[in-house]
Formats: sequence, C-alpha cells, structure tokens
Amino acid sequence: MIQRPNITETIAPKDQAAVADAVCTALRKNSPIYPIGNGTCLEYGWPPLQAGIALSLANLNRVIDHAADDMTITVEAGMTIDALNQRLAAHRQWLPVDVPHSDRATVGGAIATDASGPRRYAYGTMRDYLLGFTAVDGQGRLFSGGGRVVKNVAGYNLCRMMAGSRGTLGILTQATLMVRPLPEAAALLACEVPTLDEAEKLLAQLVRLPVQPVAVELSAGRSPEGNPLFGPILEGHAARLCVGFEGAADEVDWMLGQLREGWKTLGVTSIVLMPNLTTDRLWRWLAALPADILINVLPSRLVGLIADVLRIAPDGAMQARAGNGSVAVKLSGEDNSIEPRHCDAIPLIRGMVAAAEGRMSIGHRSCGNGSHESDEAQLPPDLRIRRAIKERFDPHNILNPGQCCGEQHASSPAFCVSRPVQQNNI
Amino acid sequence: MSALLSELRAALGRENLLSAPSELSVYDCDAFTIERSPPTAVVFPQSTEQVAAVVKICQRFAVPIVARGAGTSLAGGCAPRGGVVLMLTRLNKILQVDLRNRMAVVEAGVPNLRLSQALAGTGYHFAPDPSSQGASTIGGNVATNAGGPHTLKYGVTINHVLGLEVVWADGSVTQLGPVEDPMGLDLIGLLVGSEGTLGIVTKVWVRLTPNPQDYRAMRATFNSLDDASNAVSQIIAAGIVPAAMELMDQGILAAVEEAYHFGFPPDAAAVLVIEVDGPAVGLDRQQQQIVAFCQQFGAREVLQAATAEQRAMLWKCRKMAVGATGRLSPSYTIQDGVVPRTKLPHIIRRTAEIGAKHQIRIVNVAHAGDGNVHPILLFDERDRAEVTRALAAGREILEECIACGGSITAEHGIGIEKIELMDRLFGPNDLEAMRNVRAAFDPTNRFNPAKLIPQRT
Repeated sequence: MIQRPNITETIAPKDQAAVADAVCTALRKNSPIYPIGNGTCLEYGWPPLQAGIALSLANLNRVIDHAADDMTITVEAGMTIDALNQRLAAHRQWLPVDVPHSDRATVGGAIATDASGPRRYAYGTMRDYLLGFTAVDGQGRLFSGGGRVVKNVAGYNLCRMMAGSRGTLGILTQATLMVRPLPEAAALLACEVPTLDEAEKLLAQLVRLPVQPVAVELSAGRSPEGNPLFGPILEGHAARLCVGFEGAADEVDWMLGQLREGWKTLGVTSIVLMPNLTTDRLWRWLAALPADILINVLPSRLVGLIADVLRIAPDGAMQARAGNGSVAVKLSGEDNSIEPRHCDAIPLIRGMVAAAEGRMSIGHRSCGNGSHESDEAQLPPDLRIRRAIKERFDPHNILNPGQCCGEQHASSPAFCVSRPVQQNNI
Repeated sequence: MSALLSELRAALGRENLLSAPSELSVYDCDAFTIERSPPTAVVFPQSTEQVAAVVKICQRFAVPIVARGAGTSLAGGCAPRGGVVLMLTRLNKILQVDLRNRMAVVEAGVPNLRLSQALAGTGYHFAPDPSSQGASTIGGNVATNAGGPHTLKYGVTINHVLGLEVVWADGSVTQLGPVEDPMGLDLIGLLVGSEGTLGIVTKVWVRLTPNPQDYRAMRATFNSLDDASNAVSQIIAAGIVPAAMELMDQGILAAVEEAYHFGFPPDAAAVLVIEVDGPAVGLDRQQQQIVAFCQQFGAREVLQAATAEQRAMLWKCRKMAVGATGRLSPSYTIQDGVVPRTKLPHIIRRTAEIGAKHQIRIVNVAHAGDGNVHPILLFDERDRAEVTRALAAGREILEECIACGGSITAEHGIGIEKIELMDRLFGPNDLEAMRNVRAAFDPTNRFNPAKLIPQRT
C-alpha cells in the first residue's frame, strides 16, 4: 500500500477567511498545502512528494443562496454533491453531472477535477455548470470569477480555468452553479453486440437517428463485478451498448421506439429495456468505476482503438463514453493488483493512442474515474502557458505542488509502482 | 514606421497590406462608432503562417495587433488603438465537415451564416446564431463567446467549440483539441471570449448540432412586464426548455408597428416570441402547456403559428425589431446587460426611468430566458450633448444590472465600451487574476491592448 507521505497535519477551516489564513500560514512556513475537499478521492493525481498540510473543506458546507426561480445556487465548496442535489430536489431541480462517489464528493472537488460521468454526452461536465466562484490563490488572497447569471462574458472566463485545475491555481471556497429541472422520465435500452465491427455500425447509426440520448456507454472485454443492472457481457459477444434517454415521458418513449426500430434494421435481437429509477443506479456505478488509463479520441476512432487494446490485453475491462470518444481502460484485475505484463502494455497502448491521434492519461492508483496524470510521453503543446498561469497564481508553488504541469515527475513511471489505497487514508 | 511597413510588405505581398490614410480610415472603428482611431496598417494574411509572420514582425517593432473578422463588435472589441489591424477574412475556407464525429473544421474568417448554408441538407447546423450572423465570422464568435436567441437551449459559442488553432504572442502556433487532454487545463475555455487578447485564433473545430425534427412558434401579448416575466419563469420551472423566448417591450413594439404594421396592439406592455423544438411527438403538448402558462399569467392573446410561413412571420417581427428603430432616430446603440431572470421586469422598468432622467428614448428587446436585456438607446450622433446623455444612460443601466446581481455584458463583450465598468463588477483581486491570465499568455501585452481589463490604478 502506498503511503501518503509527509502530511504534517490536517486542518479543516470553518469559513473562507480561515482558508485564506491557512494559506498565508503555509506560505510563511513555506509549506505546501493540499486541498482535499471531503477526502473522498485522495488518490487522485500525484502523491504529495513534499511535506505539507492537508486542508479539508468539510466545514464549508452551507448553502449561501438558492435562487430557485433563476435556477442557480451558490454554495460553499465543501458541500457534498448529494447534499446539494437533495436541496435542489425540493424544487424539482438537480445538477445533472454524474460525479463519482457523490455521497461524499464535494462541490469544490468535483469542480477542481471537472468531474463527469455517463450522462456527460448530453449534460457535459462540471465546467458547463460553474457560473461563478470564490477561491484563495497561492498568496492567500481571496479572488472571484464569473457571477450569478447564466450568461456572462465580462472579462476572462476564469470559471473555465478553475474547473479541472485540481487545486493548483486556487482553493475553491464558494461556487455558483447553474441547475436544471429534474427530468420527468428516464429509461435505457441495452443490447449485446456480437463483434466490435457491429458496435461501430451501431454507434455510427446512432448519430444519424433523430434521437438525443443522455448517455452512450459501450462495454467491452472483461466485465467488472458489481454491475447493479446487468451480468457479464453475454457469452459469444464482444460488447454491450447502453443508450440512455431522459426528458418528458412522451419524448423518451418516442426515442426508445426510434432506437429499437433502428437496432432491428441492423439485426440486433437481444434488446433490453430498463425503466425509470433503475438507470440512475447504472450511471452512478459507471461513474465510479475504477480505471488505470483514460483515453480520449474522436468518436469514430474509438471502437478501433478498443479492438487494438484488447488484442494486447484480452482480459482488460473497457468502459467507453462512446458518444464522447472517451474510454476508461482497466488492465488490473478486480483486486487492483498490477502485474509486470500490465506495465509492458503501456508503451504499446501509448503507440496505439498516438496513431489514433488521441490523448491519454495514466492512473497511479484507483479512485473513481480519477487518479490520473497526463501521460508524460506526450506533454501537452500548451505546457508553456500552463506553467506561466501556475506561476502567476501560485508563485511559491505551495498549492498542490506537482499536480499542475507534471514537471517534477517527468522521469517517474509511477503507474508501475502505484497501488490502490483505502479512502481517507491520510 | 516605414521599416515596419516594408517588413509587412515583404512577408505578405503588397496586395495584402493597406497603409494609405484614406484606406486606413475605413478601419478606424467597428460597430461601436463613438470612438475612432485609425491603425498604422491593415494586413490581410492568407494563411496561419502569414498570421504568425505578422505577429513576429509586430513583436520586433513593439506594435500592437488587433485581430479582426467582420468588425461587427458593438463594444469596440476590434477597434484599433494604433498599431496593426490583422484581418482574418481571407482565412475563409470550410476545411472539413465530419458528420460521424458531429464536427466541422473551419478557418477563422468563415462567416457564421456561410457555415450554416454549407451544412444545409446534412441534418446538422452550427448552433450559435448571433444577430450579426450574416456578417460576423466564426473567429469573431469565438473571440466574443457569441450567443444569440437560441442560447437558452443550445448554449453559447464555448459549448460548441472542440478545438482551436492559435497563434501565440511569440508567433508560435499550437493546436488545442479537438481531442481533449483528459487532465489538461481548459485553455480553450479561456481563449473563447478573450476578445483577441490572449492569442489569435486561425482555425476552429466546431461541434455540429442535429437539426430539430420540428418547431412550434407562438406569440403571447401581455398587459404587464411582470406577467410576461412570470410566465417565462413558470415555463422554465415546468421543465420546458424552449429554443428561444424573446421579449419585446412596448417601446420596441411601437417602433416595429410603425415600420412594418404587423398588427401589434399599441397598448401591450410586452410580447413574448416563444419557440419550442425537438422531436415532434412532444411539441403539441409543450405548446399547450406554454399557452396555458401564458394565459394563467394574464396573456390577453396567444397566437400560435400554424404554418411555416406564420412561424417565419413571427420571427420576422423579432428579427426586424432592431432595424425598425432606425426609423425612429438617426442613431442608436444596442446595450447588452444581464440580470437574474426574475429581475427582468425590474431592470426594464428602471431602464425606462433612467431614459426619462437622461431624456433619451430607450426601447427593449431581451432574451428573456437568460435574463439578457438589450436596451436600444435612440439618439442623434450629430448632437454631442445627446451622445453624452446616451452614454450616461447606458452606463447607468449597466450599473443597475450590477446592483441586481447581474453583469455588464452577456454577449457583446467588454471591448473599450465597458472597460470603465469592470472595476464596478469585479474587485481588485479579481481584476488582478485576469491580468495574471493575460500576462501568462501575452507577457508584452501585444494583443489588443487597452481592452477588456482596466489598467491598474
């Protein structure tokens, strides 16, 4: 088990002024500070290499303002996603993002990691809902971006910058989110697909059908245990396709019918319908499924890439957000043990991704769909600018050092030495 | 200065450079015509490489660069302040339409409408539809994060951009996207809406949106702004997301009626043009719900377009509204403010009071679903005192937007028009954060200087 090294103490400030104070104190001591939200996803990204303070946001969990009629809500960053959605549900509203481990994951953590899940296909990621924020920068200054209105182009879109910046530019203390009305109905259609070639035919057909799914999930290879709705992929089949719909009941029914007809014309026989209330369970489970590698490609290249990876890792589990061209690859088994052959597969997969003009990130430990760092072998072309932004927002490099631009880790093939850790093991 | 011109000429060819005063005066402003200042030169690069060459030359001579598409900015976003105007209009090719990936690749100078026309028959469209779409370019839409009437359902430009090719301030070129780095910072999100201050976008990978199967358009007439606004809130709260909900107030209705005789009741306080689209199966029900909500909130009349012609006519009223104001006064400016949607009646009432105070006639259109108001201020450009009063009234409306928890622009951008209001909307640390972003991208402040963020005081 990997150790969380060098955490000198864990603090849990009571409000955003106290967060700013904590950063100032850390700055005086020249100590790194690691924002950990509610501590649900400590394995995300690189382990802290320098001694430092862990900063929990658990005590910043209040609703500041729910402007229900405007469909916006302002909350403190430590509120959990489920608590937020409970609050919204009283007004038949929700935040339509499948945040992994939403019972414990915080709003701030979800934003910092730009979380999303299966329904990303229709609803996008946290980034698409962040209207405004307050954060503490690397010099202990509170700053804000955006506002509380749904459409706003005054100045730079700092919301977009903060979403996905993993606590390296500022520690989020408050967020204003756009919310949506809860859909009246939900359902999904699933089918077993004999070959991967067939899978691509179904996906190519789907973008031409007059339907707007909320999720397009393709599973291939080994079936992970614990699926709340389905057993393993049917013997003799290469994949399973799940297509989810949400909206008004009449629209959902009509789209289900359209898809069913479409599938029949392509000779699909094993069609399963899962009604309302069951779909959420599947999306939540899929959102939290652990993975070792995340790969993004254009949707048209996805199935080919999955086939390539399965050729060298036949017992790997592939879970694809097929509409988005994104696939989570789990090479390790159910016990998360990583063997030398998994490590040997990495350079080959890297080559396949490069050939498919894709991008990948390699996981260190397993945690939801997170715990990844950009693949060092393909440093992003914008690295110079990313580093310049980091230097401006955190000149002393005390906010989550090593998480921004990967430079300290360039020679560390951490995938092969990492092991999963328990939650809250700090 | 002649050394600069000769280097530009050598890099681009004589035919792609303007430097005579008579030619330069054409580029002394954009659609924000109140302040004018001619550039030193105007260049028309034919390729990304030529854009990069221009940037490198301007860096060497320490000359500002203002990237410009069609020049339709209403906020002075592409008005020069000396230096070189870099025209992107010759980068005007649609490079690829890829329906399997729901994506098109276009050069920055392609006009928005031309992309839509090129997509006719494919079953897809590019969703952002700013009112300027006949002229404004995709690159310009990216620079301002442009919106339009359909943003309520389909989002603004950032929601439709998958990738960018960017020329940075040092003249290097980077492609961001269209495939996302799973762990990257969202630089595309920063560049979209940055008004040409962070980099020059030369190519855009845009998302294509499937055309809706069918539409229902209707027009509801109200006796009070509050009733209209409450109907809008009720429709959205019921889970209906109309493709558009456009509000016109009494002032603009009178102007449209005067110009085109559509048959609006002259005493109506507000008209909503509402459209739903999507699978045909749900549209009649949604239309009935919307009609019921409008009636519940006292609509005196709800017209439903029964045919495509009637639908076109309803949209014509809305789209010709701004132009109709041209009949009312020699000049007008279209303001752009945004408030939480429920504050819409308040801001329109306050706008009328502000107009009365400054003796400026103001009429309103609004994207009601977004709380985005476009007060149109009527004045005579030849009357300097009236221009001053119009500017003061515009400023006061935006200050009221801030006071309501809103913002000073939802679509048009800051440019030069609104730069003085930035420190009313944002605190010193917030503006410093923006300056830090700018410095990270463009350390020598070469791109569109004196725009967007006020100087440190």
